Amino acid sequence: MLISAELETAADTEESPSGRAWLRGLLVPKVLVGVIIVLFFVLMAIFGPFLDHTDPGAITSARLQAPSAAHLLGTTQQGQDVLAQVVYGARISIEVGFGAGILTTLWSVIVGLTGGYMSGTGSELLSMFSNVFLVIPSLPLVVILASYLPNSGSTGIIIVITVTGWAWGARVLRAQTLSLRRRDFVEAARATGESSLKIMLFDILPNELAIITATFLASVVGAILTEASIAFLGLSNVTQWSWGTMLYWAQVSGAELARAWWWFIPPGLAIALVGTGLAFINFGLDDLINPRLRSGQPKRRRWLGLRAVAWFAGRAARRVTPGPAGGSTPSTPAPQVQPGLGEAAGAPGSPVLELRGLRVVYGSGSAPVQAVNDVSLTLHRGEVLGIAGESGSGKSTLARAVTRLLRPPAEIVAGEMVYTDRSGRQIDIAGLADKDLRKFRWEEVSIVFQSAMNALNPVLTLGTQIDDVLRAHRPGMRKPQRVARVRELLKLVGISPDRAGAYPHELSGGMRQRAMIAMGLALDPEIIVMDEPTTALDVVIQRQVIETISALKERLGFSVIFITHDLSLLIELCDTIAIMYAGKMVELAPAEQMYDRPLHPYSQGLLGSFPTLTGPRRTLTGVPGYPPDMRRLPAGCSFQPRCPRAFDLCTQSPPVLVSPSDVPSDEVACFLYQAGAPVSEQNLTTGGSHA
Amino acid sequence: MRVLGRRLFFYVVTAWAAITLNFILPRLMPGNPAQGLIERFAGRLSPAAVHAIEVLFGQPHTSLISQYFAYWKQVVTFNWGISYTYYPTPVGQVIRQSIFWTVVLIGFCTVIGFVLGTLLGMIVGWRRGSWRDALIPITTFLSSLPYFWFALMAILIFAVTWGWFPSSGGYGIGVPIGFSWTFISSALYYGTLPALTIVVASVGGWLLGMRNMMVTTLNEDYVLLAEAKGLSRLRVMFTYAGRNAVLPSVAGFAMSLGFVVGGAIVTEIVFNYPGIGTVLFQAAKGQDYPLLEAIFLTITIAVLLANLLADLAYIALDPRTREA
Repeated sequence: MLISAELETAADTEESPSGRAWLRGLLVPKVLVGVIIVLFFVLMAIFGPFLDHTDPGAITSARLQAPSAAHLLGTTQQGQDVLAQVVYGARISIEVGFGAGILTTLWSVIVGLTGGYMSGTGSELLSMFSNVFLVIPSLPLVVILASYLPNSGSTGIIIVITVTGWAWGARVLRAQTLSLRRRDFVEAARATGESSLKIMLFDILPNELAIITATFLASVVGAILTEASIAFLGLSNVTQWSWGTMLYWAQVSGAELARAWWWFIPPGLAIALVGTGLAFINFGLDDLINPRLRSGQPKRRRWLGLRAVAWFAGRAARRVTPGPAGGSTPSTPAPQVQPGLGEAAGAPGSPVLELRGLRVVYGSGSAPVQAVNDVSLTLHRGEVLGIAGESGSGKSTLARAVTRLLRPPAEIVAGEMVYTDRSGRQIDIAGLADKDLRKFRWEEVSIVFQSAMNALNPVLTLGTQIDDVLRAHRPGMRKPQRVARVRELLKLVGISPDRAGAYPHELSGGMRQRAMIAMGLALDPEIIVMDEPTTALDVVIQRQVIETISALKERLGFSVIFITHDLSLLIELCDTIAIMYAGKMVELAPAEQMYDRPLHPYSQGLLGSFPTLTGPRRTLTGVPGYPPDMRRLPAGCSFQPRCPRAFDLCTQSPPVLVSPSDVPSDEVACFLYQAGAPVSEQNLTTGGSHA
Repeated sequence: MRVLGRRLFFYVVTAWAAITLNFILPRLMPGNPAQGLIERFAGRLSPAAVHAIEVLFGQPHTSLISQYFAYWKQVVTFNWGISYTYYPTPVGQVIRQSIFWTVVLIGFCTVIGFVLGTLLGMIVGWRRGSWRDALIPITTFLSSLPYFWFALMAILIFAVTWGWFPSSGGYGIGVPIGFSWTFISSALYYGTLPALTIVVASVGGWLLGMRNMMVTTLNEDYVLLAEAKGLSRLRVMFTYAGRNAVLPSVAGFAMSLGFVVGGAIVTEIVFNYPGIGTVLFQAAKGQDYPLLEAIFLTITIAVLLANLLADLAYIALDPRTREA
């Protein structure tokens, strides 16, 4: 999530595109197509009549002729040339369209900007005023206005369209102004005593250009359509050629009954093409501003070998990554499990999830980002495994990979994620087909997200959202049983069972997070992945949630992958801790080891960044510098530019994860603990910590 | 309930504004519409009819305030005087005869268009990046076409060329209006083509709006979590993504309804459908101001009622609105 958010902002242009961004906008294919279409009709309106000298009103004896060389688009009932009418008609349609578009937009901007910037009753009244106009159906109003102003020509029509069409733009602009008004740069301008008019024109208006453009384009389309409707109803001057009056005459003369398709198809197509062109420009600019709407390139999930469903029941040898040696959990190393022996496989301390060489890549093409780069680790039954790292270190991506929740452009490109259930059956999560994946999810691995507010559906009750899980996975359960289970789960996490009917917004932040945990427990999963479950909470609530998790874990015996950037929190809660940096695991050690003697300079920095919730006071040091740019990682060790103890070897090649000879329970990817490290340095760390 | 009260208040204000606009417009217009009307029908009007016209469109020797109150009395009693295009039928009766057709046709088609467009938009948004994305330029093009042009095409293709449906009218000639199968089946047969036209023309707008909201909603954590929960694809698509994505569409119903109804009304004209649109057309051609204004108010009130229903639906769909 973190990486994708970063990439999105990076790919994004600024919220208010500068001049250069607009130029770039022209290169978006949709915009280009739209501009070409619209330009064609505008040029036709301006220059067409000079090129085509046929009088569109000239009556000839060639009545209702189908298209021919003499009349490229055929003739009307009076023998008039349809092509000439389309060309001449473009003038009024384009003139009314753009004229009314400009006036409408201008009026929308004035009302929206002042209404949004001002506050108090005046603003409320303006808003009410535009809402009233928005709801009143405009066409009948236009009809009435137009019938009061007969034969007033295109100026009258432009005014009528403006009067009835400004409300929507004003409303959108008002909302935008309201949100801009609170921004720092506007507050700052106000603090310097700039006049309201100046602030509106120079600080707010430029930031609304995108919306104003959209309003304008939509107004032009609306105006062209309205003009056509008015003309079609015979309410404008029907002797003046426009696409609308052409359709009026076609309808009056019964062209559709005479099968004279050439008479009414060209003006309709012209209207629709101009409309499509303008809409395309609008969509293109929308894409530019809001890249989410862009249609992602269709990408097939690359299947990892032939593992649609992988049931490796008979695998013997398995690499044993450092087990939960020391600490509070069993001090015996992870037992070598003989697969198929149910008892042993389900025993506490046996591996429940093994990641091997996992790689996740964001984006393809020339510069894919390695969000998770060759990560291997093992989660044991009943263990709490902590993963720590800064934003963008790949820890959240790892959580999403394990739950198979990655969305394009993120993709698992290599590696295995082997899950072992209680009976010893092994499943490669990466290779699960849709149907099996759906069954596997929540039953075996559930997840708790960082922000419960966003992770709970705001329009469904808590009970429904928990009940959904039961309904999907326990089809045999009857309603009273499910209700009882929901109540039981809520009680388990310390929420009063009668809150089941509450909506997420009716709960406090801590309650929402505990509700998420209750949901995660619904099916008694083997693993719960917790992706920064306490980051958004204040310290007191954080404490309560952590205690809830610890108590439940003791009682129910599930394993936890706990992801956070708060290393001190992990040390309290976890058995084993993995530290990630720039997509790689840089250190893996038992929690006590990590607390007493973190080896990697980055782990040392992280540990110094946070105060512990309990435990002795320490000086906070932190990690110097900023998280790396994942698209341009430095050569050698990714941490080397920020490392206070980097030496020449660090820039040459990336270090691999190995156990230092003197601390076999730890694994660290750092040259300081490998052959070739400066002797003094080595003594300083290992020796110093022992002292 | 407070939300509902606020909305009700808004609609009352809007209705008041529309009715008042109707009062102001003829008095603001150049010339004197009332005098024009009276002169045009000179000799054919009874003194009572002349008075009615003056109350609605401007009395020469009365203060604006008392004119306004007299006008309100006419509006409340729906006394719009005589229609001149349908002389000597009273305006009220003309509207009563035509409104039923319009409410059934347009009400039905608007709902169908909304449901269909929203469903399609949900599916297109759900599988963004597939062949279904090709629907977007097509629907853009379709939604840029004037409704009445669709109607002309529909008649050309389905009525004239293939002869599947009648090209105009609301029911068969000689079929007596009443609650009988003959009449209903005839009305359905005649209504199919206009209905089809309106649905096809309005579906595109809803589709595009829903598709964009769906794409935004799919990025929400709660959709991701629903997927993580192992719910069925349909459940995630409808209850978690679609249900939330549809909210802006329901809220936007208000602003679109005026547009859709306007377009649908013009469609009636092409089919010579016996609804209020055709009457509006006749009234506009004949500068029949009493009929025009009555139609305007009728449509406005109908749209306001539909909006109120949409608001009720919104409040039912989104629990968050029930609080503030």
